[in-house]
Amino acid sequence: MDNLHPLESKVLLALTRQPDAPPTLDHLAESTGLEPSQLSMAVEWLLAKSLIAVHAETVAHIASLTPIGELFFEKYAPIERVLSAAREAGQTGRRLTIQDIQTKEALEPSDVSKAVGTLKKEGAILIVQGGCIESTGRNSATAEAMRSLLQELRSGQRELTSISEPLRSVLQQHAVKRGNAREPFRIDERVTRSFLLTPAGQEVAEQLSRDGVAEEVSQLTPELLKEGVWRTKRFRKYTISLRAPRIAAGKRHPYREFLDLVKLKLVSMGFQEMRGTLVETEFWNMDALFMPQFHPARDIHDVYFVKNPTHARTIEEPYLTQVTQVHERGAGAGSTGWGYTFDAERAKRLVLRSQGTAVSARRLASGASVPGKYFSIARCFRYDQVDATHATDFFQVEGIVLGADINFRTLLGLLNLFAREVAQAKEVKFLPAYFPFTEPSVEMHVRHPKLGWMELGGAGLFRPEVTTPLGVSVPVIAWGLGLDRMAMVALGIHDIRDLFSADLEFIRTMRGSF
Amino acid sequence: MPTISLQRDDLEALIAGPDEKPARIPLDQLEQWLMLVKGELKGHNSDTGELRIELQDSNRPDLWCCEGIARQIRIKQRGSAISYPFFKKPKRVAGKLVVAQGMDQVRPYVAACTAVGYRVTVSGLTQLIQTQEKLADIFGRKRRTVSIGLYRLAPIVFPVSYDLVKPDDVRFTPLGMETLMTLREILMVHPKGVEYGGIVGAHDRLPVLRDAKGQVLSFPPIINSREIGEVRAGDDELFVEVTGTDLSMVALTLNIFAANLADRGAVITPIEIHSPVKTGFGRRWSTPIDFGAPRTIPLKAIESALGEALGGKEVTSALKSYGYTVKSAGQKVAVQLPPYRNDLLHTVDVVEDVAISQGYARFAPVMPSQFTVGGLSRLEQMADRVRHLMVGLEFQEIISNIMGSHQDFCTRMRLDGTEWAKVVEVDNVMSLSYSCLRQWITPSLLQVETNSSRAFYPHRMFEVGEVAIPDASADVGSRTVTMLGAVIAHAGAHFSEIHSCLDLLLYYLDRSFTLEPVDHPSFLDGRAGTIVSNGRVIGLLGELHPEVLEHWQIGVPAVALELEIDRLLEEV
Repeated sequence: MDNLHPLESKVLLALTRQPDAPPTLDHLAESTGLEPSQLSMAVEWLLAKSLIAVHAETVAHIASLTPIGELFFEKYAPIERVLSAAREAGQTGRRLTIQDIQTKEALEPSDVSKAVGTLKKEGAILIVQGGCIESTGRNSATAEAMRSLLQELRSGQRELTSISEPLRSVLQQHAVKRGNAREPFRIDERVTRSFLLTPAGQEVAEQLSRDGVAEEVSQLTPELLKEGVWRTKRFRKYTISLRAPRIAAGKRHPYREFLDLVKLKLVSMGFQEMRGTLVETEFWNMDALFMPQFHPARDIHDVYFVKNPTHARTIEEPYLTQVTQVHERGAGAGSTGWGYTFDAERAKRLVLRSQGTAVSARRLASGASVPGKYFSIARCFRYDQVDATHATDFFQVEGIVLGADINFRTLLGLLNLFAREVAQAKEVKFLPAYFPFTEPSVEMHVRHPKLGWMELGGAGLFRPEVTTPLGVSVPVIAWGLGLDRMAMVALGIHDIRDLFSADLEFIRTMRGSF
Repeated sequence: MPTISLQRDDLEALIAGPDEKPARIPLDQLEQWLMLVKGELKGHNSDTGELRIELQDSNRPDLWCCEGIARQIRIKQRGSAISYPFFKKPKRVAGKLVVAQGMDQVRPYVAACTAVGYRVTVSGLTQLIQTQEKLADIFGRKRRTVSIGLYRLAPIVFPVSYDLVKPDDVRFTPLGMETLMTLREILMVHPKGVEYGGIVGAHDRLPVLRDAKGQVLSFPPIINSREIGEVRAGDDELFVEVTGTDLSMVALTLNIFAANLADRGAVITPIEIHSPVKTGFGRRWSTPIDFGAPRTIPLKAIESALGEALGGKEVTSALKSYGYTVKSAGQKVAVQLPPYRNDLLHTVDVVEDVAISQGYARFAPVMPSQFTVGGLSRLEQMADRVRHLMVGLEFQEIISNIMGSHQDFCTRMRLDGTEWAKVVEVDNVMSLSYSCLRQWITPSLLQVETNSSRAFYPHRMFEVGEVAIPDASADVGSRTVTMLGAVIAHAGAHFSEIHSCLDLLLYYLDRSFTLEPVDHPSFLDGRAGTIVSNGRVIGLLGELHPEVLEHWQIGVPAVALELEIDRLLEEV
């Protein structure tokens, strides 16, 4: 009883008022004043709860006009048109073929031949030599029946039983059947059910009429609160086990959440953020990092070059001169250099930043603190085919550490810290690695709780050929973390392109576990 | 760098050396040893015995082959360098190679030797060719700086000459062809001539290697002769030459080949090079040649870089067992690289070799101890504030790629031919879909809207990200700007909705602003404005033009906002 919806109460009460004549839906609609849709909803609920039962079910056949029938009413049925054409021809003495009727009356050939067949059978027309039609002057019972049926049904549908023979059989002959939709009439079955209260329903209904339904409300309103009227009301109980309606939240992108967390970790370890530009010179992207201009990774197939302008106007001095000298002869850095002629024009060539280390190089030149720790989360571009493991642009988490106490062992110590703080890894392995700008170089592998052994990043001590020309005299660690794989695991995705998904539903439902 | 393919048996035999019986090496043991060569085992086929190994170090071409990897491992096991007699001043040379006048203008340098007594096997030949290709391709920059030729020694009559000839004067049958061809014909017709012809093709006279009888060995760096220059399995007398434009790279490449063939059991005999001009090695020298020089390094430099007081003894033994020649004297060590290496630019290169030789596990990690203050840039702090406010305004954050197409950033936005269509474009475009950098965020968000008509509405999306705005006054021709973009899309989306968001956002950021009508093709006329604060334009907003929505196949109205975060940092 507590679970009764107000609609259900109304129907139950209406049923108690008519104990002797079980009402149909039409009757109930009248007595409850409910909309048909509300009523049928309430009835279905009550049937499901076995508070009411079906008393009787009657099937009625209802005849009505089809759109074709409407058309026939407007323009007369083909049978009538054929008959009157035949009569008209008889009066004027013209010869009339079936073809003529078709053309003149613009009728479907099938309609014409059917009408002609019926009329001939009834003796209203004759088919004479040459396929010509002649009127006999007799009437056609079918044509007349058709006319009165069209008229009658035009004013509204009728129960088939209320139509007497011979009209009824004409109607049935010309009703839509399977395989023949071009008919003027249709006959539909209509099921009419009447309902009565079950004993349980009886009980609930009696209780309802005792307690009344007026007190139950579904929504607490300011009006109810105002005068304390809510005290006289009962609040309908909800079915709270239903699924909640979906809403959308304003929220951060899960990948950005991950990167925010990395950012937080790095700041908490004492790192300052650095920023750079999307477009860089080859000088800062590569030359300053002691990558010789003939290095294979500087090929047209590895870096995106900018179309216009192609070159920067200048490269800051004294860095251009000092980097040139270190490439050519190692001057000043205690190195032999690469022993080739440095092309200053090439250094000005503009590229899309291909490594975050470019940001570090600029930081070293523009005066980094000693001791100092820096990081950047920089968007980088590589000349790669886009696929499940390569995005057109991606984030590189990179940085530097400067200090008089920096050496190979403190480098390993720092990497240990990263492994613990960023990857929550307890086990770490260090492997020799190669980067053009660091020596010694290390690759760090960690045992990830989910992935097992994985490469977390690369690092090394910047070569003096990098630091000296930029005016830095203390050892510098350069490090980079490869976090995309970790991010993908945390976000439960397998394709790197999904980190930059353009599917809102996917982004709304993606969530991270980090 | 290169990934090479080799046979496990072959590697095991070379690691064992000529006098020992090869033993099966477990793969995990092998992976450990590969740390010595910065190598990573990429694949193993247990049926064929093939191993695929990636070598990282682009300055160690001697390691890009089975012999080199095995050598480094073998040296570590025996604890000292392998001595190759042919690097010492030779008592006898196999013959002379005479360089023609004028060669310094074309392809100046050559080095050569003979290798006798190693009968080439099928798999050995595969390795020789692989090494030849990797060295010429990567180290030799696609044969430009260095190229290598292998020949059958028997038919060659010394002295060999490295000549310059007119393109039509010399004919020979190149590898891969059936008929005699002139050098000009080879450049025009032969696949290798077409591929590598650009290296020497511009010269009037072209290099050829010919023997005393005038038989052509090859047309370097293009193609060998079919008669002499085709080594087959079963040959056991070889002639090896390297030509190129860099004297030490040419010499180093021959040294690597000589050491490799010696490791396989060949006896190497030097060739004497006669040059018409003085070179770094003089006018007359023999190759292979040990052109390295000892370098004296303070022990302290190594110890302080590693952060570990190893002592002279450990440093000496570490370097010896990595192939160096080492003399220790008090607080200094004099070190010299083996002749098949030339990658010692700086003391730090020796430092790393000490660490690799001892194994990185030898060095206990120590935390850097100096105090530093962490923090975010002002720009990032502002960007984060904006992001948090946008989330509070019930927008979903989006991250998009910065690289995209002119079509998306301009054409679909109705911007072609206007000042708003200036973007940073890429010269070497790989795919039209990724040919320029976005100059604003809205297209990125419309891309999402296009793909999301089935996600329930309303759609409220934002991205705070970088864009590149062409700017002639900037050093690199463009400014990188951190921008907020926001889009609201649903059946009733309209101007005042996004206007209210902007109003509240800038209220919380304590920025007063006015809107000034703007005639912007992406927006409906009279329903777009620039955001002006403190006399400067800091963004724009409006109702997107129906044609823009059509271009993106978006079926609901949408409004957009763009705001330069950088400008919010400026003092008011």
